[in-house]
Amino acid sequence: MEQSAGEVRNPLRDGILTRSVPEACTVVIFGATGDLTHRKLIPALYNLAADGELPPELAVIGIARRPKTDDEFRNELQEAVQKFSRQTVRDELWNSFAKAISYQKSEFHDADGYQRLGERLQQIEEERETGGNRLFYLAVAPDQFPPILQHLAAANLNKPREGAWARVIVEKPFGTDLASARELNRIVSEAFPEESTYRIDHFLGKETAQNILVLRFANAIFEPLWNTRYIDHVQITAAETLGLEGRAGYYEGAGALRDMVQNHLLQLLCLVSMEPPTDLRADSIRDEKVKIVRSLRRLTAEAVATDVVRAQYSDGAIAGKPVVAYRAEENVKRDSKTETFVALRLQIDDWRWADVPIYMRVGKRLPKSGTEISVHFQKAPSVLFNKESDALDQNVLVIRIQPDEGISLRMQAKVPGTSFRIESVKMDFHYGTSFGKASPEAYERLLLDAMSGDATLFARRDEVEQAWDFIDRIESAWREPEAPQLYEYPAGTWGPEAADELLARDGRAWRRL
Amino acid sequence: MSATTETFATGMPVEIGKIERELKKLWEQGGEKMTRASLINLAVYSEAPDSLRANTRIIAQITEDHASRAIVIAADPSAKEDRVEAWISAHCHVSRAGRKQICSEQISFALAGSLAKLLPNIVFSHLDSDLPFYLWWQGEFHDPMDAQLWTWVDRLIYDSQPWCDFDAQMRLVQTAQEEANQRVVLCDLNWTRLVQIRLAIAQFFDAPAALEHLGSVQRVEITHTTGHRSTAVLLAGWLAAQLGWALVEGADETTLSFSDCAGEAIRVTLQETEGEPISRCSLHCGTTEFRVLHPRGADLLEVGTELDGTERTHQLMPASRNDPVSLMSEELMRGGPHRVYLRAVEAVRELL
Repeated sequence: MEQSAGEVRNPLRDGILTRSVPEACTVVIFGATGDLTHRKLIPALYNLAADGELPPELAVIGIARRPKTDDEFRNELQEAVQKFSRQTVRDELWNSFAKAISYQKSEFHDADGYQRLGERLQQIEEERETGGNRLFYLAVAPDQFPPILQHLAAANLNKPREGAWARVIVEKPFGTDLASARELNRIVSEAFPEESTYRIDHFLGKETAQNILVLRFANAIFEPLWNTRYIDHVQITAAETLGLEGRAGYYEGAGALRDMVQNHLLQLLCLVSMEPPTDLRADSIRDEKVKIVRSLRRLTAEAVATDVVRAQYSDGAIAGKPVVAYRAEENVKRDSKTETFVALRLQIDDWRWADVPIYMRVGKRLPKSGTEISVHFQKAPSVLFNKESDALDQNVLVIRIQPDEGISLRMQAKVPGTSFRIESVKMDFHYGTSFGKASPEAYERLLLDAMSGDATLFARRDEVEQAWDFIDRIESAWREPEAPQLYEYPAGTWGPEAADELLARDGRAWRRL
Repeated sequence: MSATTETFATGMPVEIGKIERELKKLWEQGGEKMTRASLINLAVYSEAPDSLRANTRIIAQITEDHASRAIVIAADPSAKEDRVEAWISAHCHVSRAGRKQICSEQISFALAGSLAKLLPNIVFSHLDSDLPFYLWWQGEFHDPMDAQLWTWVDRLIYDSQPWCDFDAQMRLVQTAQEEANQRVVLCDLNWTRLVQIRLAIAQFFDAPAALEHLGSVQRVEITHTTGHRSTAVLLAGWLAAQLGWALVEGADETTLSFSDCAGEAIRVTLQETEGEPISRCSLHCGTTEFRVLHPRGADLLEVGTELDGTERTHQLMPASRNDPVSLMSEELMRGGPHRVYLRAVEAVRELL
C-alpha cells in the first residue's frame, strides 16, 4: 500500500482498512458492449459496490460503436451481472449502482466522439463531484489501442486538471512482439506517463498469485531453502481442457507462447523466483520482477530446438467426448502452424537460481484444467534410508493457482508396520476448506488498485519489453526454414512425447496434476 | 456461504478423559467424505440457562465461514451439586468446490458447582495445539478473574453492551490483559456492531477536499435503540479519539460536549428510538451534513450527503447485523489489534 509524501490521511480509516482506498473517479470503458465488460468488468464493479468498497461519487461511461440508450445499456449490463456476478444481484443495489452508468455511441476513430466524451466527462464530474479523476479502460482489441490513445491525447482527456489524475488500463495482449510492444509503449507514453499506465494481467489479481509472496517472505522456513543449494528444479503448468471457444481470430495469430507464456507464466515465474523487495511499494516489487525476466537466459536457435517443444492438438477426446483437431476448428486455417501447446526448459542466470532448470508447459485440450507451480527440492543424501536405492521421492511444494487454490507439501513418511517402508505423503492446504469466505474476483482487486493508484499487480513497461525480448527469440527460431518440428498430440493427452523427453533427458518427469 | 449444513446438534456424551480418543473415532467413521478443518480454537463460555443448545446452534453457523475447534462451556457455579459432563459433535458443510464435507469439531462441557472453577484445567487441555485461542465470554466477568486463563487466550471476545458497570468490568479485563503482558487482544462485540457504520462515515472523508470537513464538525446526532446508549457513546468516542476532541464536563443522558484542538465546541446529541442499535448518525459540518441511516430491519445502510438541505450523494452500503452469529463472523474476519477501540473507550470511558 502506497502513500505519497505529504499526503494527508483520513484519520477515520485507522484500523478499519488494510489497503489503499479507491478514489472517486469516472471509469470510461472503451469496448463497453464486449465480452470482457459484460463478463468481468461490470460484475466486478457491481460486487465492489455491493460490498461498499466503491466511492459514492464513482461514475461509469461505456463507449462502443452500437447505438443504444443509457437505459438499454443498463438493462444489458443488469442481465450480464445476474449471469456472471459472484453474488446474487439485488434490485435496490443494482438500481443505486446503475444510476452511475451511462452510454455513449462512438467510433473509436471519430474525433468528434472524443469531444463529446470530454463534455460528458465535465458534466459528470460536476454532477457527481468525482474531483476530475479519470480511469480509461481499453477493453478492446489491441489494434484499437493506438487510435483510442491518440484521440484521448488529441482531445486533452489524458491531462488531468490540477490535483486530479488520469490513468489508463490496458488489457493484454500488450503487443505481439518486442517491436510492436515498444511501439505501443511509445504511443501509450505519449498519452499517459508510465506511473499512470496500468497493464493488466488478471493472473496477478488472483488470491493465490498474491499469496506466493506471503508464502515466501512471511514464513521463515522456506526462504533459506529457496535457492540452487536446495532446489532441484521448478515446474510451472497451465493446462486447460478448453479449445478455442470462439477465439480463433486472435489465437491463430498468437499461439500458446504469446497468449500465455509471455504474460501469465512469466509473471508467475517472477513471483516465485524474485529476490525479496526492499518494501511493498509497487516499484520495489516490480524492480525485483524485472530483474528475473532480464536474467532469463535468452535462447539461441539451437537452444530452441533442444529446450522448447511446440505442438498442436489433433482429434481426440475430453472427458470421454470426442473433440476435433485444432485445424478442424471454426475459422482456423487447415494448414495452421499455430502451437496450442508449448513446453520450455528455462534458466535464470543469477546467483540464486544458477543451474536450477525451470520447466514450463502450457496447453489447450489437455486432460485436466489447472495452473500450478511446483518447487522440487533436492533429494535427501543417500546415506540412511535410501542407501540401497534412490527410490525416495523429492520433497515437492505445490502452489495451486487454480482451481481449488491451495498449497501442498510432499514429504516422506514411514508406513506403519514392522517393516521399514517409506512412502510419500502430502500435507494439503485448501483455501476453500480453511477459509469459508469466497475470494473476490481478480478484476475486483485490480480495479480497486487502479482506482487507488496502486500499480503493484500491474506489469511495468520494462517487464513487458523484457518478456517480449525473451519470447521473440523463440518465435524467430520457429520462423526459420530449419525451424524445429511442430508436433501433434491427441486432444485429451498431456502433450507430445517430446515434452516428456525434455525432462526425461535431465532425469526428471512432469508432475502429475 | 456453503450450500448445505449438517449439524449433529445434541452431540455424543463422552467421558472427560476419553475426549480425544472419541473425536478420533468420530473422524474415522466419517471416512474420506469428511475433511476436518480448523484455523482457531474458539471457546464459548456462558452461565445462562440452556446456553449449550443456543451456542451449539451459533457455532454451527459460525464454522461455515470460520473453521474452528469449538469448545462450548455451560457453567453453573451456583449449583449445589458438583457435576461435569462432556459431549462431542461435528458441524459439517459442503465446501465451495462442492466435493467434500468440511467439518469443524465441537467439544461441549457442562460444569456445575465448585467444578466450574476448574474451567482452565478441564477445558483448556483440549485445545488444538498451535492454533490461536479465542475465548468468547458471554455475560459479565467475575471478580477476581482467573489469572490462569490469560496465559492461554489470544483474543478475548465479549459484548459490553449489556454491562451494568462498564468501568468496573473494563478494569477487570484490563487487569487480566496486564497479567498477560498485553498479549490478549480485546474484542468488544459492541464495537463490532459499529464496523459498517464506521466504514460508511469514514468513506465520506477519503477525498482530499472532503477531508477538510473533519476539522469543522460542529454537531453530531446519533440515534440508538433502547439499551444501546453505550453503543452510541462508543461511536462518539471513536469520533472524539480519531479527531482529537476532548470531553468537556457537563454531559447528560442525551448530550455530550467536546472541544476540538482549536477549542471549538462540538455537541453530540443522543436520541433513543426503537429500531437498529444505531439507526442514524449525522455529522454537521457548516452547511454540509454527512448522514448514515440504518432503517429498521434493513441489511443496507443509506449513506448520503446534503448541502444546504439538498441531497448531493446517495449510496447503499452493507449494514452490520445485530445477531450473535453475524457479529462473531464479522469479528473473526477482521482480526487486528483493536488499538482504535481502546482509544475510543478512553475518550468516553466515564460516560459508558
